[in-house]
Amino acid sequence: MNHGPLIFLAAFFALAGSWSGFVLAPQLQVGQLQQTNTLGGGATYPQARSGLAQQGLQVYRANGCATCHSQQLRQSGTLCDVVLTDAGTNQPALIAALLTLKCGTVPTEAEQRAVIPANTNLPAAIQTWSEADAKQMLARLPQPVRQGMTKEQADAAAKTLTAAGAKAQIWIVPVGPDLARGWGRRRTVAEDFLFDNPVMPGSQRIGPDLANVGARLPDVSWHLRHLYAPRLTEPASTMPPYRFLFEQRKLGPAASPDALALPAPWAPPPDYGIIPKPEATALAAYLASLRAEAPLFVAPLTLPVASAAPAKPPAP
Amino acid sequence: MNPDATPSPSLLSDAAEPHARPTPAPVWLFVLLFLILYGGMIYFDSHGGSFNPQVYAPYRSLAGLTLYQPPASGPDLARGKAVYENVCGLCHNTDGTGKPNQAPPFAGSEWVLGSLNRMIRIPLLGLSGPIKVKDQEWNLAMPNMGAALSDDDLAAVLTYIRRSWGNQASAITPEQVKAVRAELGNRNQPATVDYLNTIAP
Amino acid sequence: MSNAQPSQPVPAVVNLEVDSSCRFPLLFMFLCAACWLVIGSAFALISSIKFHSPSFLADSPWLTYGRVRPAYLNCLLYGFGLQTGLGVALWLLARLGRTPLAQPWLVVVGTLLWNAGVKLGIFGILSGDSTGFEGLEMPGYAAWIIMLGYLVIGLSGVLTFHQRRERPLFVSQWLILAALFWFPWIYATAELLLVAFPVRGAAQVAICGYYQASLGMTWLPLAGLAAIFYFIPRLTRAELHSRYLALFAFWVLILFGGWTGIANSAPLPAWMPALSTVATMLMAVPLVAVALNVHRTLAGKWSMVAANPPLQFIVVGSIAFLLAGLMKIACVAIDTTCPVGLTWLTPAQAQLNAYGFFALVMFGAVYTILPQVTRVEFPSTRLVRAHFRLALLGLLLTVAPLAMAGIVEARRLPDPGIAFMAVVKSTLPFLRASTMGDLLLALGHVLFLVNIAGWALRFYRPRVAAAYAAATADLSALEAKS
Repeated sequence: MNHGPLIFLAAFFALAGSWSGFVLAPQLQVGQLQQTNTLGGGATYPQARSGLAQQGLQVYRANGCATCHSQQLRQSGTLCDVVLTDAGTNQPALIAALLTLKCGTVPTEAEQRAVIPANTNLPAAIQTWSEADAKQMLARLPQPVRQGMTKEQADAAAKTLTAAGAKAQIWIVPVGPDLARGWGRRRTVAEDFLFDNPVMPGSQRIGPDLANVGARLPDVSWHLRHLYAPRLTEPASTMPPYRFLFEQRKLGPAASPDALALPAPWAPPPDYGIIPKPEATALAAYLASLRAEAPLFVAPLTLPVASAAPAKPPAP
Repeated sequence: MNPDATPSPSLLSDAAEPHARPTPAPVWLFVLLFLILYGGMIYFDSHGGSFNPQVYAPYRSLAGLTLYQPPASGPDLARGKAVYENVCGLCHNTDGTGKPNQAPPFAGSEWVLGSLNRMIRIPLLGLSGPIKVKDQEWNLAMPNMGAALSDDDLAAVLTYIRRSWGNQASAITPEQVKAVRAELGNRNQPATVDYLNTIAP
Repeated sequence: MSNAQPSQPVPAVVNLEVDSSCRFPLLFMFLCAACWLVIGSAFALISSIKFHSPSFLADSPWLTYGRVRPAYLNCLLYGFGLQTGLGVALWLLARLGRTPLAQPWLVVVGTLLWNAGVKLGIFGILSGDSTGFEGLEMPGYAAWIIMLGYLVIGLSGVLTFHQRRERPLFVSQWLILAALFWFPWIYATAELLLVAFPVRGAAQVAICGYYQASLGMTWLPLAGLAAIFYFIPRLTRAELHSRYLALFAFWVLILFGGWTGIANSAPLPAWMPALSTVATMLMAVPLVAVALNVHRTLAGKWSMVAANPPLQFIVVGSIAFLLAGLMKIACVAIDTTCPVGLTWLTPAQAQLNAYGFFALVMFGAVYTILPQVTRVEFPSTRLVRAHFRLALLGLLLTVAPLAMAGIVEARRLPDPGIAFMAVVKSTLPFLRASTMGDLLLALGHVLFLVNIAGWALRFYRPRVAAAYAAATADLSALEAKS
């Protein structure tokens, strides 16, 4: 029996199988994706990156940043917060509803936490609230009343509140270890990489995940300083300094607006400035453009209302 | 046996090539294969999302994903239009093109399409001083027409402006208006371009 | 499929013909592969030292970690792994078919192309032209040269198989033929759809995962198992325990191996990681089949292993195959509850698979093949034993610390109360310990190169000397006359 062709056919069919599964099908399902709309807002997503950020993507590729940094956030579950936005006109009924939320089908300890408004002396658990506590809470709306519930529980709670004439919203909150660490608000999905070529999700976390770094560190000059001297921003960092992306130039009579502001150990000699090369500027622009927190149909979440006051810069 | 000597190559060359005994494979190996296949099918049934391209872990099905979508309450454009025609359109024109020397246009304006934090402040505070709208300089004084409107009305009219005449931007919710109002507190000076530029988008 | 009775011992003259036809091409291939291994070890050492001092060689863009580490992986996989695998595969096809290597010049041309391609590719990675895809970093302009080299070498292999005089097939020939066909398909797919005409968006992640799985979980096992199934019975003068077990492993491997490549955290719809998880669980079956086969073949012959260094390489390699497979299955099983996919456990398992299993088996195969084809015995096995000890120790000192670093990371990273830098700090001692392992492996590779060069020298020096003497004998005869 001539086994040569049989082996060839065996390998062919095996290859054809895995090829249809992980080359053809992804191309049909994911490779044909178009821009989509964000939930609620209706803005198109994703927006194409600026030209400078696209160049930065190529710098990211050329220097192998994906060897240490991942861009894939995981989500282990989705929970709901019930947020009271408007007390309505029937305060006694609302307070009664708030207090009845303690009873009935109360979620387990692990699933629910009540929110403690800052600067008050309200008791920690909503189960111990009294009428006076509830009135105090109503003075400062909007206020999450319940956190960490399943959708059914949240729906039931919101219904109780709405029946009392108040307005309640259900906020969708993705949860997971990566998200709890502040690396993002939801998992990364295929739409986040729609216009990127190549897509480099990385496979290691020797450095923090970068999928949403543009939202927590939007300042381009932070990224430039971090690239030049990672130990400036993080004393124990294992990231190598990318000084070859910068050049030390003798300054003219006026200070250069592009020169990095570096403190003592890293500062260049007087009359010299550290000027980022085009690659550094592009890379910093790319990093500042990395965002993966728009609510989408495939990854719903409720973004907290944007406030005008800038948030304290979080730790990377 | 000398530990330093390799087996002589001549030994290898004269021996027969290896031969495989036709021992049958044990049945339990096939049973193991089928057990793992069965377990795998069960796992895939629960975690695979039925091959749906919109289902990402941790969601298990399209139905489960749809459960978490926000309620389909779209912005109330009819209400926004009514408020616009009674309040804003008198100066800015019902088709959003503005009136020269009276009010700048809304259609395609970067102040409308851009930051909503800045846009909300303009009707709440009024606007005075020079401002550049669509590459044209304007220098007028706008009273704070939105201060008297309720949060719902102001949100509706601002959303209407952001969604009409070719404008395509996100809606503004009453909560956002309320938050900005709370931040402004008792401020009653009109906004200027410099002030608006200090507001984060 | 006959082969009911053991085949007759082959006449020495046929074996001589077969071996001498393979001699020059294989020596050339193995010498080049050994050079790549030494170069790769240098890159591995540089990237490992950077964890002791991040600013080590950091001012040169050519030696930044993000370029040097992919350079090491590509040297190991393409410079050494695929090349040696092809060389061993060719010899096995020739030997098992009782036919000389077909068109040896094809193999030489193919090797030249292959090495030129890898040289260009490594240069490209270090100069910043990396493609950005893990396992496929060599730029497109090098990739097609490599593909061409593989096709040319593969052609010789297929011709050798076609011309075989021994018609019934041994298991290794199944595995090798499948492997010869496998790589061009997956490499062409990956290069065309990721580099030449890139697909859009996250589909690239799926295709890259497909290529990584098809290379690491299918091609390497195909070639490595072919060597294991041949050399263990051969070197112990036993019979392979079961042909059917081996073929069963072959079928399950090729049917499900290519499906294992998508991680749980990938930005892809849920069905893709779910299928990959199921396929990885199914890989337990070929693992068990191979382990059973090897164990029963070696039954009662374990004392021979201690006396035979190449056999030691191959037996340790088969144990590493089992362990690497089990580690992969364990990681995937745990990953559903506790994220381990993005920790150091992944490189640890990859190292155990590519180096512990494949490289060690290839070392054993090369150390068995070279005395065969050159008909030169190595004067002392001390260097081979030294290489074995260095390789084993180095393997333990790279895989174990990286695995422990991964476990530490997997336990601490999910806790948001622990700062990220604290987690990284707690993995650093293990990463620094692995530098020792990299050093030992590097020394082992230098020994490997020295051994192969030694064989080549030992074979060619007397011939060159004789040729020289013959050429000058006429001259001195003429002088004596006059």
